[in-house]
Amino acid sequence: MKGVWGKVLKVDLTNGTCTGETLPDKVYEYFLGGAGLAAYFMWKECPAGTTAFNPANRLTLAGGPMTGLKQTGAAKWSAGAISPSINMNADSAATASFGIVMKQTGYDAIVVYGRSAKPVYLVVDNGKVKIKDARKFWGKSAYEAEDGIKEAEGDDFEVLSIGQAGEKLVRYANIQTKKKSFVGRCGLGAVMGSKLLKGVAVRGSQNCKLHDPAEINRLNKEINKRLAAIDAERPEWLQIKRVGTAMATELFAPQGNLPIKNYQLANFPSGEKSMHGSNYSKELRAKPWPCQYCVLQCHNLCEVKEGPYAYRGKGPEYESFAMMGFDTMVDDIKAVAYGGELANKYSMDTISLGAVIAWAMESYEKGVITKKDTYGLDLTWGNAEAMVEMVKKIGERADGLGYLLGEGCKIASEVLGKGSPDWAVQMKGQEIAAHNWRAQYISALNYCTGVASGPNHERGNSQHIWVGHIRLPEWGIGEVGNEERWSWEKAGDRNAKFHDYCNIINSSCHCKFMEFRSYTLTDLLNTINGATGFGWSQDDLRRCGERITTLQKILNIRFGWRKEHDFKYPKRFMEPVHEGPAAGKIPIGLEGAIMDYYRVRGWDGEGKPSQELIKRLGMEEYID
Amino acid sequence: MKITINSKEEEIEPGTKLSEVVKKIREAKKDEPMIKSLIQKTGEDHIVFVLNGQIVRPPEYDSIELKEGDAIRWVHPMFGG
Repeated sequence: MKGVWGKVLKVDLTNGTCTGETLPDKVYEYFLGGAGLAAYFMWKECPAGTTAFNPANRLTLAGGPMTGLKQTGAAKWSAGAISPSINMNADSAATASFGIVMKQTGYDAIVVYGRSAKPVYLVVDNGKVKIKDARKFWGKSAYEAEDGIKEAEGDDFEVLSIGQAGEKLVRYANIQTKKKSFVGRCGLGAVMGSKLLKGVAVRGSQNCKLHDPAEINRLNKEINKRLAAIDAERPEWLQIKRVGTAMATELFAPQGNLPIKNYQLANFPSGEKSMHGSNYSKELRAKPWPCQYCVLQCHNLCEVKEGPYAYRGKGPEYESFAMMGFDTMVDDIKAVAYGGELANKYSMDTISLGAVIAWAMESYEKGVITKKDTYGLDLTWGNAEAMVEMVKKIGERADGLGYLLGEGCKIASEVLGKGSPDWAVQMKGQEIAAHNWRAQYISALNYCTGVASGPNHERGNSQHIWVGHIRLPEWGIGEVGNEERWSWEKAGDRNAKFHDYCNIINSSCHCKFMEFRSYTLTDLLNTINGATGFGWSQDDLRRCGERITTLQKILNIRFGWRKEHDFKYPKRFMEPVHEGPAAGKIPIGLEGAIMDYYRVRGWDGEGKPSQELIKRLGMEEYID
Repeated sequence: MKITINSKEEEIEPGTKLSEVVKKIREAKKDEPMIKSLIQKTGEDHIVFVLNGQIVRPPEYDSIELKEGDAIRWVHPMFGG
């Protein structure tokens, strides 16, 4: 088949060997690439009982048929492994150029397993592979490591790396590339750290054959032009390339979607005033810092020239603003940006980090922890200095609270007790992101039932039916009324479709932000067909999404998921706010909605794929 | 005659102008929380209209008479994260 190589690189860090493995076409037809391929290798090679830090865990870095097509959004690549936070399979995605160049080395994916005896980094240079000594980079930040590897190997390599938090196994450690894009959620950076793998450098110049290059060129021209033109029609403060996702804070506020004070409040006027799109440009001097081929250019390079939060680097995304700002009540935009960049260097997911610090602030407020625990810091709501210091303590895994918070708020609250699990806003070990279940009940359903990466706002981004106005008319999700935000009718079906849609996106490797500027499922299907020659219909596309979701569900079960896990939602889900657009809204009926989701999915009453479903999807060989 | 609006087929009267469809969509969306907030703050909903793949700007809405098979896309100002 076309559009992919049909080949992956297997790296055994225990034995120091690297081999190529050819994959049958069926694997790509069923699972596409990216997240699907990561799930496939976990299915194939990680038996029950494999845990995140076990050498047998497979960390897969994978592109997909859309990677490198020169279409806007085609810089995406995915990584997957058993996660140390949720203790099940997980995948996460990033951009910049790493995935494009990895594919140009002649491999669709790199699958790393085993554990090195000493810190190493991997070099893949147009098909030639070396495992090299990384001891001089161990203990350095992720950015220093990237710089060091580039200095050693060449500036024309694309590099991914981890920082101290990944080395020290913070359960939500991430992987960074080019100091601007992150495999953010589920602690895959800690998986790297557990293998003593500090980084990966790739350089390549090979392009795999496409089924219909002329059609791909035509699609690229039309789509790139259309999306750029639509964004350019907006006023500056609504243009993606001016402010990136930071514009979302102002757009989400009237919907009640923001997480404020560990999800206790509905309003935060000083925060909304400070962490605002136009302030992002003014205070942080944001400039576009695009991923390869992208016309929307949502990433920003920011600079604060003076003061305690002076820095030059990645500007905070919406989730970072929301979780490290709104959720902790810190309204100093520079402190939030600086804290986020610190997290990036240590390699920590800013969503979990913000949630964990917010949990710690509530614990401090309630006397569960005191200044004796917080290194003398007054960990009160909105204390920017304390928030920034806690980022350092966690990233360094400082003895005491810093170390404990690196375990996530599930484990931290279980250790501390004193009622603190009641305000740990997490499920299955992963902290909830910045989309408020009170603004749309489907978010609660998504968090409870997601199989790709635990409770994850982008693995199933059904909140965007309202929050982001995403529609999937080809799959039957057309115009939807605002009042349906708080209805369970159709929620199961919509949630299932968005789970499958996100799996297609993250397996073909396309950036779903394009959808905010009119990219459609038709565009996606035409591009996948043009690259691969599959000749799929929308039904075939959906079926592929279902297969990936089903494989992930099979993995969830293998790695210990039980039905009760879907029902252990945070206590805060059922605590209303008393003002604002979502006043009084709590997802009563959530349990019934979960069961309805199982039914819509073709899962049995225990939440397991039925024989009928397995047969319909042709997945008999995949069931355990 | 049949046109599509955001991929959904709709029946409209021959001779319908784009401006009439724009008006209907704007009316239907004006009470959505974010659109309402944008209108209150800026006086506009910032919805962009695309006809057969080409952006159409407000001064042109009234000059365009829709034809059978026309495809209208309207794009919300939202961007997420």
